[in-house]
Amino acid sequence: MKRFAWRWLVICSLVVGVAVAGTAAAGVEARPRYGGTLRVAMHAAPASLDPADSTQADSFARRNLTFLLFETLVTAGAGGRLHPGLASSWQASSGPTLENQRWQFQLRHKVKFHDQTALTAELVAASLRVANPGWKIVTETDSVVIELEAADPELPAELALPRNAIVKRTADGKLSGTGPFHISDWQPGKKLILAASEDYWKGRPYLDVIEIEMGRSFHDQWMALELGRTDLVEVSAEQSHRVASEGRPVAASEPVELIALLFAHDAQSPVEKSLRDALALSLDRGSIRSVLLQGTGQPAGGILPDWMTGYGFVFPADADLARARHEREDVKVAPAWTIGYDPGDSISHLLAERIALNARDAGLTLQPTTAATADLRVARIPLASSDPWIALSEVAAAAGLVRPAAHGGSVEELYAAEQSILATQRIIPLVHLPAAYAASASLRDWKPSVDGSWDLANIWLEPETGIR
Amino acid sequence: MHAAVYNSVIPKVILNTVKRSSRPVFCLCVALCFFPLLPGLVMCSLAADWSVPEQQLARKIVAVTGPGAVALTVENRSSLSKRESEIVSAGLHSALETLGLRFVKPEQAAATVAISLSENLNAYVWVAEIRLGDKVSIEMVSKPHVDGVVSTRDSVPLSIRKIPVWAQEEQVLDVLVLEENTAPTHIAVLGPEDVSLYRLQGGKWQREQALGVAHTRPWPRDLRGRLIPGKDHLLDAYLPGVICHSTNGASLTLSCQESDDPWPLVAGSAGGGVSANFPSLVASTLPAIPQVGGFFASTRNFFTGALAPGVGKFATVPKFYSAAFLPRGRYVLWLFAAVDGQIHMVDGVSDQPARLNWGSDVASLRTACGAGWQVLATSSGVPGSDSMRAYELPDRDAVPVSAALDFGATVTALWTEAKGDTAIAVTRNGETGSYEAFRVAVACNL
Repeated sequence: MKRFAWRWLVICSLVVGVAVAGTAAAGVEARPRYGGTLRVAMHAAPASLDPADSTQADSFARRNLTFLLFETLVTAGAGGRLHPGLASSWQASSGPTLENQRWQFQLRHKVKFHDQTALTAELVAASLRVANPGWKIVTETDSVVIELEAADPELPAELALPRNAIVKRTADGKLSGTGPFHISDWQPGKKLILAASEDYWKGRPYLDVIEIEMGRSFHDQWMALELGRTDLVEVSAEQSHRVASEGRPVAASEPVELIALLFAHDAQSPVEKSLRDALALSLDRGSIRSVLLQGTGQPAGGILPDWMTGYGFVFPADADLARARHEREDVKVAPAWTIGYDPGDSISHLLAERIALNARDAGLTLQPTTAATADLRVARIPLASSDPWIALSEVAAAAGLVRPAAHGGSVEELYAAEQSILATQRIIPLVHLPAAYAASASLRDWKPSVDGSWDLANIWLEPETGIR
Repeated sequence: MHAAVYNSVIPKVILNTVKRSSRPVFCLCVALCFFPLLPGLVMCSLAADWSVPEQQLARKIVAVTGPGAVALTVENRSSLSKRESEIVSAGLHSALETLGLRFVKPEQAAATVAISLSENLNAYVWVAEIRLGDKVSIEMVSKPHVDGVVSTRDSVPLSIRKIPVWAQEEQVLDVLVLEENTAPTHIAVLGPEDVSLYRLQGGKWQREQALGVAHTRPWPRDLRGRLIPGKDHLLDAYLPGVICHSTNGASLTLSCQESDDPWPLVAGSAGGGVSANFPSLVASTLPAIPQVGGFFASTRNFFTGALAPGVGKFATVPKFYSAAFLPRGRYVLWLFAAVDGQIHMVDGVSDQPARLNWGSDVASLRTACGAGWQVLATSSGVPGSDSMRAYELPDRDAVPVSAALDFGATVTALWTEAKGDTAIAVTRNGETGSYEAFRVAVACNL
């Protein structure tokens, strides 16, 4: 028996050896490890962590910070699929007059704020009233009821937005949330240190501490990563080529940021409509993507990216200079427009310059400016949600347009709503960009979700940072 | 008043009831009928019915073009396979012909119709761009995605085989087969909040009972748990800081207490603890392996390293995720998959650490192959797609004795079953979030 066993082992070893050698370089699966400090750098420098503070610029970084500290009643997964958050269930009123007008959200039990206060309907209602002063919100034992003036089937998806995160605000201005991390130190706009919440209702995060440095340029972030001084950084579009060429893996979301031209007001005449048409037709989005954005992102003819709708390709994104000139020639005198850009954003500046060149080829005059009162501006709009209706609604609001109503929510209705927004000529889509990040090799289970959000509660660090 | 319930746990997260309940049944039937052919088993196959969206889109197109001659193109921009897209294309042609369209070259056509088979995250989206003179019309339909097909293969020389036992959307920590049958008909499924008992009746799994797992503290992340058949009762459930025992009364209940008592590392027959549900084990003459218990950290995902009883002179070993043993002539060699990534080989006298590039989960299997005992160890080539391989350890060198068995998902649990000759592996699909439990067995090919 023993002799047979050894012969058997030798033969097996030879046969399997090749396969083993082939996979020797493969990684080793290990269970997540607790402990360690994650160092993060970001470009955004919010002065407030309050999710309802509308004076702070929207950014993926700010959203991700919000969800480290706070939680919403409903959470949105990939494709806008909704999941219970601080609400364990929800119901809408029915009937011909009240359908989707009165919504009741049953709160999850045994959830505590970081200051150990229990989550109650009153605290939830108070939080939602700050973010939505126009809503009528009442409480019932363990639930919150929102009564709307008009039916809104998308209300649960709207409650998944960061601005609707549940916050306990104290009189002295302190904020407390229910999220996986609590604030350990906060220097507004500079540095934020978070510590794991030991009794977090979904389980303590693996990490002990997250240190976040704010207001760091993309170049500084990259250098810090290269020097091993940080673990997770943002990668801008203009860096992507260099980062890839240096062999550093970049984790990117689906294209989730819309760069578009926003006009300050409606077209005042058929002449102005023709000129806006001419400008839209003159835009060489292909060159913008390949040259200015180093091949990152996708040219956008529509507001929503193709992965979100499945029909994005039907909106033409190619330049048609002949038609642009034709539209321009129908107008005797074309006024010079100013095109605004954010002076702190190099991409916006480059885009404004390039668009002015494209426009000149069609016979239009655009003057780039950093003034706030431009005729049109280059806008970077992080899409608010992977739910296409919510994303479209928020873009419409950013452009100063009426939010579309999602009556039935079918893809045909979505297309019609998007088409009607484009028909206003207040917005000309340019490019959809992904949110991209680079990380040190010590990060495990790290990957941004399709909408660019982090899940830092579920990542962990290699053991040299310590097992607790 | 509250007619519509928008709790996504019920209508959205869970797959449709028929499919969900029938899937394990189907898999088990296949396993029963084709057990010898399991290496090539295709687990489940769901054929899509495209006729409804085909007809919907055809009607919309004809509403624009009217009957007559059109030039039609169909382009696949989605994840549909070439074969599937050809089937859809043929179906669209047929549906359009039925409604009075004839297909001609573009120069002969009154209208051109370009159909794109596209998709978004939730649904297939078919878009028709219709050109009628200078006018362009867009029509579209959508069809929600169906779950994909998963297939696995493994190969010689010693084969690890995985037999599907259970699948569900909710988290599974462990599955205990409550009888000796090769094809299970009575199982317990451990989740974070309950132990569910299922019985196969009339070809369908019926949930007999759900026994709540009482706990006061939130569970730690990467929650782990284990079901073990009881000696004089149905089962015990071990979770971090909580131990539950089923009670035999008029009706089955589960009694849970907060407890830091050690978890048995040798379950079932090997440890001499035999349930009446396993009659062959009661009569077994195989030597029992001395029981070793490991203390599990109540707020973490690993064993603390404290053992009770210990292994020889070792009452503690480094913190570990899992343990396996290999009986030798006069002693038992214990293998601890430590949190530092090393495998600690402890024989009672010495602790020999080694970097074997194994994963966190190991389990012992008693087989009729080779040395009679093998160790199953997990590893990962690509994130979210773990594999498993069998090893022997002559002279404490790990020798692989099987090819790797890919799971196409993350292995979240691996525990030896009561009889010791099979193990239960639980996997989590990173994309769908669903869980599957497999019985893992080793077959001798030489």
